[in-house]
Amino acid sequence: MNEELLAVFVASTIRLATPLLLAAIGELLSEKAGVLNMSVEGMMLTGAFAAAAGASLSGSPVMGLVCGLVAVIPLSLLQAFLTNTLRANQIVTGLGINIFVLGATTLGYRELFGARSREVIPGFDKWNPPILGDIPVIGQTIFEQVWLVYLVIPVAIAVWYLLARTGLGVAIKAAGAAPRTVAHSGLSVTLIRYGVIMATGLLAALGGIFLSIGDIHTFTEGMTRGAGYLAIAAVIFGNWKLGQTIVACLVFGAATALQFQLPALGIDAPNALLIMMPYLLAFIAVSGLVGRQSAPRTLAQPYWK
Amino acid sequence: MSAALAVSGRILAAPAAIPVLAVLAAFAVGLLLIVATGASLGQAISAFSQGAFGSAYAISVSLNRATVYALVGIGFVIAARAGLTNVGGEGQIAMGGIMATAVAVHGGVAGLPLGLAVILPVLAASLAGGLWGGLAGVLKVRAGTNEVISTLLLSFIAIWIVYWCVQSTDLLRQPMTSAATLPESATVPASTMVPLLTGSYAAPVTVGVVIALILAVVAAVLLARSVFGFRLRFVGLNPIAAARAGIPVERMTVLALFIAGALGGLAGAIMLLGEQHSLKTGFSSGYGFDGLVVGLLARGRISGVIAGALLFGFLRSGGITMEMAAGVPTALVQIVQGLIVISIAGAAYWMDRRASR
Repeated sequence: MNEELLAVFVASTIRLATPLLLAAIGELLSEKAGVLNMSVEGMMLTGAFAAAAGASLSGSPVMGLVCGLVAVIPLSLLQAFLTNTLRANQIVTGLGINIFVLGATTLGYRELFGARSREVIPGFDKWNPPILGDIPVIGQTIFEQVWLVYLVIPVAIAVWYLLARTGLGVAIKAAGAAPRTVAHSGLSVTLIRYGVIMATGLLAALGGIFLSIGDIHTFTEGMTRGAGYLAIAAVIFGNWKLGQTIVACLVFGAATALQFQLPALGIDAPNALLIMMPYLLAFIAVSGLVGRQSAPRTLAQPYWK
Repeated sequence: MSAALAVSGRILAAPAAIPVLAVLAAFAVGLLLIVATGASLGQAISAFSQGAFGSAYAISVSLNRATVYALVGIGFVIAARAGLTNVGGEGQIAMGGIMATAVAVHGGVAGLPLGLAVILPVLAASLAGGLWGGLAGVLKVRAGTNEVISTLLLSFIAIWIVYWCVQSTDLLRQPMTSAATLPESATVPASTMVPLLTGSYAAPVTVGVVIALILAVVAAVLLARSVFGFRLRFVGLNPIAAARAGIPVERMTVLALFIAGALGGLAGAIMLLGEQHSLKTGFSSGYGFDGLVVGLLARGRISGVIAGALLFGFLRSGGITMEMAAGVPTALVQIVQGLIVISIAGAAYWMDRRASR
């Protein structure tokens, strides 16, 4: 692999990891508070579709971004209401919402775009940051990215700060580890879990928005193709720790990038193995082969007073 | 006062009322959406019923779908009795399908007498599904891994193992596929195919329907009347007390997930050897996840599994015809299906609250 190919590989790794990073950081927040939010896939798809629809109708990607974020709010509220107020099974509501969103966005797309389905949707342009962008070879390939890619950095720092340095972070983690104690200390477990699901929704939607109007400037039916489930796998592989979850997303992004690069390098590796890799790695991680797992104690359990 | 309470209690206690209402509400939304998309309501409904139960063929296809949902759902309910959530139906079906293909095509069983040509691949497939499910059980017992997470991951791994098997000629890909066709395995020999109940392709309902019904009865009796069922329930209600009482909790955990997986593997074998006859990428296309939903919605009752399996089986078949004949996208059926799942899952709040009183 020469320098240029390597730079392309790194660039596409980062690009492919971006939607996963946004969604997985959100999913991590949810799971820390005890909610296994399976609807992250549907949340991403909602963001992707609403952003595409908004950008296409208004001609402005910024309006698309706003639409994507607004559209996910009722969906997140529904998920939060079902799992926290009605204490419905988190897995079944997640799967139900995902089925619903896949249907709704497919139908909506056909109704809205129908004949114009091959049209390019206005989206965000790539941006070349000063200084970094001027570095030879890698400046043009690695650092020239849509600004949403760079958004991952402040989001990650904010979530790290929230979880590690604030009282709210302690409360979130406690809501997943010992919800009863949280309730005894006078805080509302329900409210905390509503909050993290809303945050997850917005972050997952950002991931979806990046997919449709950031990366490829179009919408295709079911375009997330399981990215939400990958985000869940990343949190598991990352052992419910922020840094490791980010590394997991980058590893998954690299595995995806390799699928496209290996044939170019003339290497004949089974494609299936690369696609399977994220799930296999996450599985190896949870099977206890690589140290102890630290899943939040009440993960996926509804909280009853 | 107490009399009034008793009366209102009796009305609310109709156990099927809430899920039935939820399903009806979801259907109503579906009808509204059909109108909203501008399709003719009458045409859509007649296409739907044509596709779901308009002909012997349509009914057969719907029943075959329902069979798969029922088997996965029964497995889910058995595991749930032990307090386990088996999210791995999709993977267990996939492993069953792979094993059934491998044994039927390369296992040298085609010439065996007495139906062994079918029975052996079906048993091997059940074993493969069982091991895939049991693996999650072993992990739970040995490493404390949450079975929701491990079975979900195992599902995705299995889906891509199918892909691998049909892509690679070293595995199950038939060498004859040209570049123009999608890669798939060789067709299974005729002697290994799960026979049709009617013997005619005009009504291709497989013997699997009967097998699923028998297994449903067996499971219902086992769960309600046997020592095994009692032990499962004890482990599910309180594993610590169960262990004190001398029940081998760990073995029961692995066994429950093994049985659930074996039923998934069986479903995969019936699908592959009964209908599809060759392994393709995505051959299980969401059956496992739908079956899981059927199991969840059944709320622990085998009768609920049967009802849910039939509902989803007919819904799916009708939806496909609705798209072809009336131009109403199947996405609409997905919306209705999603709404059914969401509303029944949410309605559990009222049902559980009543049960706990």
